[in-house]
Amino acid sequence: MALNLFSNKSKILMSAFVGSDAVFFAFLITSFVFYHGSSKGRPNPWRDLDPATTGMYSVALWASSGTMWLSEQALRRKNPRRVRRWLELTFVLGALFILGQCLEFKGLFSKSIYPRTDLFATTFFTTTGFHGLHVLIGLVMLLILRGLIAGGFGREDYQIEGYEAAAYYWHFVDIVWVAIFFILYIWGTR
Amino acid sequence: MRQVTSALESHSPLQHGILHVTIVTLVIMFLIMVLVFVLLVAASLRYRQGRRPGEPDQNFGNTKLELAWTALPLLLLVCLFILTVIAMRESDPPVASASGADPPPDIVAVGHQFWWEFRYPAEGFVTANEMHIPAGRRLLLRIEGFDVIHDFWVPVLGRKMDAIPGQPNEMFFEASEPGEYGGTCAEFCGAEHAWMRILVIAQAENDFQLWIRQQQSLPPAPSEPEAERGAQIFRTTSCGVCHAVNGVSSGRLGPDLTHVASRQTLAAGRLVNNPVNLEAWIADPDKYKPGSFMPNAALSEPDLSALVRYLETLR
Amino acid sequence: MSEVRVALPTIRKLEEIGKRTGIFGWVSSVDHKQVGILYILTALGWFCIGGIEAALMRTQLIVPENRFLEPYTYNEIFTMHGTTMIFLVIVPVLLGFSVYMVPLMIGARDVAFPRLNAFGYWIYSFGALLLYFSFFAHDAPAAGWFAYTPLSEKPYSNLQGMDFWAICLVIIGIGTTATALNIIATVATLRVKGMSIRHLPLFVWMTLVNSFVILGAMPALNAACIMLLVDRQLYGHFFNANGGGSPVFYQHVFWNFGHPEVYLMIIPAWGMISELIPVFSRKVIYGYAVVATSTVAIALLSFSVWAHHMFAVGLGHTLDSIFAAASMLIAVPTGVKIFNWIATMWGGSIRFTTSMWFAIGFLLMFTIGGLSGVTFAVVPIDWQVTDTYYVVAHFHYVLFGGTALAVLAGAYYWFPKITGRMLSEPLGKWHFWLTLLGFNLTFMVQHSLGILGMPRRVYTYPNIPEWNELNLISTIGTYILGISVLIFLWNIIYSARRGKIAGNDPWDGWTLEWATTSPPPVHNFDDVPPVKSARPLWDLKHPEDPDWLRKSKKARAKKGR
Repeated sequence: MALNLFSNKSKILMSAFVGSDAVFFAFLITSFVFYHGSSKGRPNPWRDLDPATTGMYSVALWASSGTMWLSEQALRRKNPRRVRRWLELTFVLGALFILGQCLEFKGLFSKSIYPRTDLFATTFFTTTGFHGLHVLIGLVMLLILRGLIAGGFGREDYQIEGYEAAAYYWHFVDIVWVAIFFILYIWGTR
Repeated sequence: MRQVTSALESHSPLQHGILHVTIVTLVIMFLIMVLVFVLLVAASLRYRQGRRPGEPDQNFGNTKLELAWTALPLLLLVCLFILTVIAMRESDPPVASASGADPPPDIVAVGHQFWWEFRYPAEGFVTANEMHIPAGRRLLLRIEGFDVIHDFWVPVLGRKMDAIPGQPNEMFFEASEPGEYGGTCAEFCGAEHAWMRILVIAQAENDFQLWIRQQQSLPPAPSEPEAERGAQIFRTTSCGVCHAVNGVSSGRLGPDLTHVASRQTLAAGRLVNNPVNLEAWIADPDKYKPGSFMPNAALSEPDLSALVRYLETLR
Repeated sequence: MSEVRVALPTIRKLEEIGKRTGIFGWVSSVDHKQVGILYILTALGWFCIGGIEAALMRTQLIVPENRFLEPYTYNEIFTMHGTTMIFLVIVPVLLGFSVYMVPLMIGARDVAFPRLNAFGYWIYSFGALLLYFSFFAHDAPAAGWFAYTPLSEKPYSNLQGMDFWAICLVIIGIGTTATALNIIATVATLRVKGMSIRHLPLFVWMTLVNSFVILGAMPALNAACIMLLVDRQLYGHFFNANGGGSPVFYQHVFWNFGHPEVYLMIIPAWGMISELIPVFSRKVIYGYAVVATSTVAIALLSFSVWAHHMFAVGLGHTLDSIFAAASMLIAVPTGVKIFNWIATMWGGSIRFTTSMWFAIGFLLMFTIGGLSGVTFAVVPIDWQVTDTYYVVAHFHYVLFGGTALAVLAGAYYWFPKITGRMLSEPLGKWHFWLTLLGFNLTFMVQHSLGILGMPRRVYTYPNIPEWNELNLISTIGTYILGISVLIFLWNIIYSARRGKIAGNDPWDGWTLEWATTSPPPVHNFDDVPPVKSARPLWDLKHPEDPDWLRKSKKARAKKGR
């Protein structure tokens, strides 16, 4: 039958959603670029960023995209044990990134740098903060997926598609971080 | 107070171009509207149900026709665009001089919640809500926002321009003949946006120079005792915190009052300026302009009339 | 007949839903038809509230220096009127018709994500209530519906009204985005066999395009609201000139949403018009492909014209001209649509039902609104009339004369399908003529008011004789408009219970929603007629002259030549 009620509707939904969300991040990043250099108060406010440390945590986030992909592959091969293992590793890597961001924010706060400090800090905290929020939501989503897998989810084709659709979101969050990291930390501090 | 505020009148060479392109455009749009209306009415009359039996012929479209009604409007719009660009240059000529250096502005208009400050930097004085200009001379106007975004708009003299905090705008400004021209703040700026009116008084060059000299001079010291007592009240109460009177106080938050009695209106067009209204305004600003920042000074009746007597000497 | 009707898969859950009744049935429903009705009725309720606000404003402006409303109250009311009509009325009512009609028109059992659909509605409803709660919190937003900074910033709006505004718009935006995603997934995956992209009913076409516009536009609103909230709550500097920020940057971000928003408030209305003008003219839509693709062109262009809201900002002539050119360009595909609709009527056999009257009213009023829109692209005119009553007149001709009349046309067209009963035609005619009269009295004179120098958003105005008369006329028009709305409400209430029984296909329609009962069963269809063209029911009713045969004949004739 030509009409398949489950022909990737989840993937269509998620692709369209991350496309829309990408526009949101584009505006936040644009605000950072637009205001870069017009911040008043501290000279060279970007000195307070530490691209090397953040870079290490970023590698964790990017690696988590790979582990997520491996868990998708395992799901396709109907290997629930490996799905669980890769999914858990993805969660740990994502959590590590959030930990890194918390430490980074804590360090900035201890230097009395808050969103209200100057325009640079406003745009920086808003952009990275909203990305962090997305990662947190992603972590919740991973937990839900883990729960579903424990309940036997992933045997049907449509469930695999759904799982991959959810993974789209995780990959998207990682890709956005590529843009944010290179624009805010590399271009922004050069 | 009779004010000309119509954008369909022109009292400035800068408005001529706008008026011209406005009329041309409105006529074109009106003709297109008539065309569409006629077609619709014709279709409705000719093809109403029951004139022919059965279902009508199913016509799926005609590429040539559809191309035609895509291309013709496009052509028309190209013409309109050319007119637009010409009119833009005519009515808002570039401000920077040929050498590229920015000439200093003749007048600086600053939008405040909810009144206009007009500075004459070369002549060295400040006035409020009433702008005097020499007729026939092209002035450079600088427009600033003090707090929120306002918009300087005097329809018969040309374009409007936003008064934006942190981003001053400049434009040329000119009236071709003497007269009084009404205007207003055209960007919503808060509670009393409605009462942020502008009065532009264009004068012959001689009259304008007289006015300049009058504005530059200090008002005469009050001679009669009642007015003197009023001056005392002005100095001792909080009036001077916000209002400047040259030689007496230097507040900048409210309108400059050095020559307040010489102005036509009070509270940015809210009231006609006469002693009765002035007294009523000071007695209870919230009655006339509830959102304004002018506080009720709670003066006693005699103090109030003394103060008004003093303010009336500020000519 | 050799064609086989298409059977649809059974979904057991749908039958369960059908058994729930009463309020619980409505609250717990994920049936697209019930969600659609909730959307439409809720939007109608907010329309009445927004209309009362409009009446209050016009009453305040009936004479110069009136003392009916306090200035700040007036500002709250006009801000809420704009916000209500845009975010709580027009967008949701169009979404409501979309989620109701799209699955029926494409021959589906439901939308792709029924729960997400219900979520979209309820989150919208919640956001709307929260927005109005601000009145009870003693500070409704009062910075206008586009909340320009710095007026909307903490120092100038120091109570919580603007926080309500920004938060609620993000919340409502979540609902709008969810529904748009749902429509995209539905149209992409649930079309019945044979319904290729060339056979989609134009309403579905335009709803689909509209959903993409929503996905592109809402993020900009979210970004603007979020930045505003960061400024207000965390003392950020996004739009704070003293901290190096730019109030104009807000305008760029906001209008990146705001202009596509204007189109996403009209595109589905065009879809409705493109459905019902052919049916009532008894003639196929003239130039299906052109009508469909011109919508895509408009959707794309709508993202490149935002700065025409900012010609008075002082962007410089170069930018002004670029945006003027883009704005003029967008008039071309819009004009094409008008001509195609008229060409559809031309040579037809027009039935003047109330629905068709509203459609003709739409064509007339939208033409005026569209043409006055072009005048804004002529930058020097914009320099004069932007932020005046001329703008108010213009966008009411587009949104009321355009969208509202089209939605009313759609309401008279689909009410029989939704309720099984006809709306009263005599009441409908009264409704139409009073609407047209009241609307034009209210807004036609506002063009003149704007050109005569009256700025918008003023709670009162000085005693200028020309303005006084026009304002009086405008207010009288509003009251007439109010009466017409009351007639409509009575018509709905009366006809829903006592109206003439409609039957399955009262208008002799051509799209799939007329192939099922009125109202449709929970599962929509038992089976669906074969779809070989954009008018499957025409093909069914005219086996001697079906659309698909004519097309293949034409193709053959072309080859032969």
